[in-house]
Amino acid sequence: MDSFVIRVGGEAGWGIATAANLIAHIFIKLGYHVFSSKEYASQIKGGHNYHTLRISSKPLGADVDKVDMLLALDSVTVEKHTSYVVDGGMILYNDSIEIKDTKSTVTYVPLPITTIQQTLNEKNIANTVFVGAAIKSLNIEYDVLKSVMADIFNHKLQLLDILANAAHTGYDSMEKGVGIGLSAGEKSSLEFYNGNGAITKGALDAGITFHAQYPMTPVSAILHDLAKESINNKDLTVIQPEDEIAAINMALGASYAGSRAMTATSGGGFSLMVESVGLASMAELPLVIIEGQRPGPATGLPTKTEQGDLSFVLSAGQGDFPHVVIAPGNVQECYTETKRAFYLAEKYQLPVIVLVDTLLAESFSTIKLSNTLNIDFSQRFNIIDNANQYQMKNGLFMRYSEDNFLRTLPGTKNGIYTCAGDEHTNVGSITEDPTIRNGMMRHRMGKLKKIEEELPVPELYGSINADMTLVCWGSTTSAVMEVVNRLGTEGKSVNMVHMKYMCPFHTSSVHDILSKSNKILLIENNYTGQLGKLIMEKTGIHVNDTILKYDGQPFTVDELYNLIIQKW
Amino acid sequence: MVTLEEYNSTEKPTWCPGCADYTILTTIKKTLTELNIESHNAVLVSGVGCFAKLPYWIKTNGFVGLHGRSLPVAQGIKLANEDLTVIAFGGDGDGYSEGGNHFIHACRRNVNITYVVHNNGVFGLTTGQYSSTSTMGTKSKSSPRGSIEVSFNPIAVALASGATFIARVYVGNPSHCVDIMKKAVQHNGFAFVDIIQPCITFGKNHEYYKDKIYIVDEKYDWSDKSTAFLKALESDTGKIPCGIIYKK
Repeated sequence: MDSFVIRVGGEAGWGIATAANLIAHIFIKLGYHVFSSKEYASQIKGGHNYHTLRISSKPLGADVDKVDMLLALDSVTVEKHTSYVVDGGMILYNDSIEIKDTKSTVTYVPLPITTIQQTLNEKNIANTVFVGAAIKSLNIEYDVLKSVMADIFNHKLQLLDILANAAHTGYDSMEKGVGIGLSAGEKSSLEFYNGNGAITKGALDAGITFHAQYPMTPVSAILHDLAKESINNKDLTVIQPEDEIAAINMALGASYAGSRAMTATSGGGFSLMVESVGLASMAELPLVIIEGQRPGPATGLPTKTEQGDLSFVLSAGQGDFPHVVIAPGNVQECYTETKRAFYLAEKYQLPVIVLVDTLLAESFSTIKLSNTLNIDFSQRFNIIDNANQYQMKNGLFMRYSEDNFLRTLPGTKNGIYTCAGDEHTNVGSITEDPTIRNGMMRHRMGKLKKIEEELPVPELYGSINADMTLVCWGSTTSAVMEVVNRLGTEGKSVNMVHMKYMCPFHTSSVHDILSKSNKILLIENNYTGQLGKLIMEKTGIHVNDTILKYDGQPFTVDELYNLIIQKW
Repeated sequence: MVTLEEYNSTEKPTWCPGCADYTILTTIKKTLTELNIESHNAVLVSGVGCFAKLPYWIKTNGFVGLHGRSLPVAQGIKLANEDLTVIAFGGDGDGYSEGGNHFIHACRRNVNITYVVHNNGVFGLTTGQYSSTSTMGTKSKSSPRGSIEVSFNPIAVALASGATFIARVYVGNPSHCVDIMKKAVQHNGFAFVDIIQPCITFGKNHEYYKDKIYIVDEKYDWSDKSTAFLKALESDTGKIPCGIIYKK
């Protein structure tokens, strides 16, 4: 066994997330790695919600199909998840639930929730009673839970009292069990981030000063965290405008005036922003856009996951224009690539899209964020505070000269120009001159080649000359990597390539890797195999074999393993 | 001391000869000059339409963006650097149709910028369709049997949305335009100026406006919102009151 899985389920509004968070931090405190994913419906109260915690000695980024311990706050959890509970596993359930078909290989433990609620005269405490009972059955001391609760509820002392009391009652109601059977690492050296958190941290470390966002699942947490940060960070302005069109245009205005600006949304909101992406590119304004994919079209499955927007963001806008599309593959990359996005946007003055999805944005992993990108964000890139006479024409700054990437900010004495969405001359005057148009197109489009040269090339992971090469991108990367490792230990010859930079695209590197592959298998969380289409367009290599999933659910490691074995 | 010449561009405007936009161009230059704002500290923001080319023809910082989106851009600029004097421009198509949502919320947000709308009741650059401020029944290429919508009342909408400075001017009275524009730029908060103008090619001419336009008298109390609402509704009856309609 390489991981121990705890699943906690109940209705929205019952504190399922809090229970999961407490359990996660208990194991983190004990030195374990935790991967925490959530499944929820698009409703605030009621509905079926569950969180899954996969606890391990090593870092993980995907779920498996088994459950070792199920915490069932309601009957739906029992009905939906009992089949996943392993032989020798345990189900803790609210004793007011009637269990119909018991599984003989599983231990059932009723918790007297109603009685405890009456005794303590508190209603919303079932979640912490379950946590208390669960940790005792896993042979964890109450003091660990107590200190985790004190950390999490340190600003709500009255609530802490109530919850600690409930957790203790749950703890006392349980027999002491055995541990999870996995060795722990160094204690508390790890942090717990999801993609949203890592993006936010990356933006802050890159010196973000302006963020405009209209709320939208799965990236609303970025708005929340930056808004909170802006209370004490005088350099950061955060605004929730009337719609996504306002969000991106405010960000562009701020960027023009010198802010390091970002906006975030999902596919629906990004659809509204599309025209402005072209404006950013035409007017040569730096902008970081976070696009958190969820299943479309239209409202689709608003709280589920999918990788369905790749083709869309690659071609989002009328005309030919340069923009950068980066798809991080894990939480660490969310951090690194957000920083890279700010750097590229400011240096080359164009929009940079960081493409994630619900699974990556909202699932938490234990991580020690490392600073792999060595960029000094205390300096500005390509901004000058005074133009010299050779950079001026008729008293205006030649902002849009060919191969010039220097800009001034409004307020600069020798720096006036017009920032233009129309085709323009080198000082930003409107023009329809064909020669100037040609020059400007070459100037803008030429950025992509320069950026491509700065980006790390894709690498092959696993054995060289393998029988099979798995190709993936974004949030599926962790599951694919775990399968590659599993197949490797079974003696199968397999490797993988994870595509991160979608535009510009490392055509020759990808062609080199794939043309040497014996058999290529494309794995994507969408219907049409959008990365496959991109590879075909860029390299001419047609990937016939695919594993595609578009039901709103992420791949589990076990599911993917079985599907790949079938393709062998 | 800032001079008018500082704002003179070497580019020649391409508006129709005799267009009222020339007057507005001069109004903006005079406003900035008379308020002694140095050209590098002003930013003119516009979208798309005949009016929207104005920033190209004044020598100061300009941002010509997308149709209907000058307000969010202008607010972003001001939020990023409060030392800049930011004037956003719209037209009746750009500002009241395409960017109507931004107009409402910019009024509510009260960021310290000026919003100037060139309101001529017709689409010029797309060759003469009726607009949101055309009077009901207006016949045009796109409304051969007459438009069926009630005319949009920007003053009333601005009032209802919480704007703190609301004014209307007529382009046929240039000195009044400069006077009001200066007060708008000096206002500490979101200042909205609706400029009534003819379109000599597709729309109404000066003759049409002559008897409808009047400037509110000195006794008019612009600090009272209820009074301002009544004044705003006058334009529905055919009269077009100009001057400061409301100021907080």
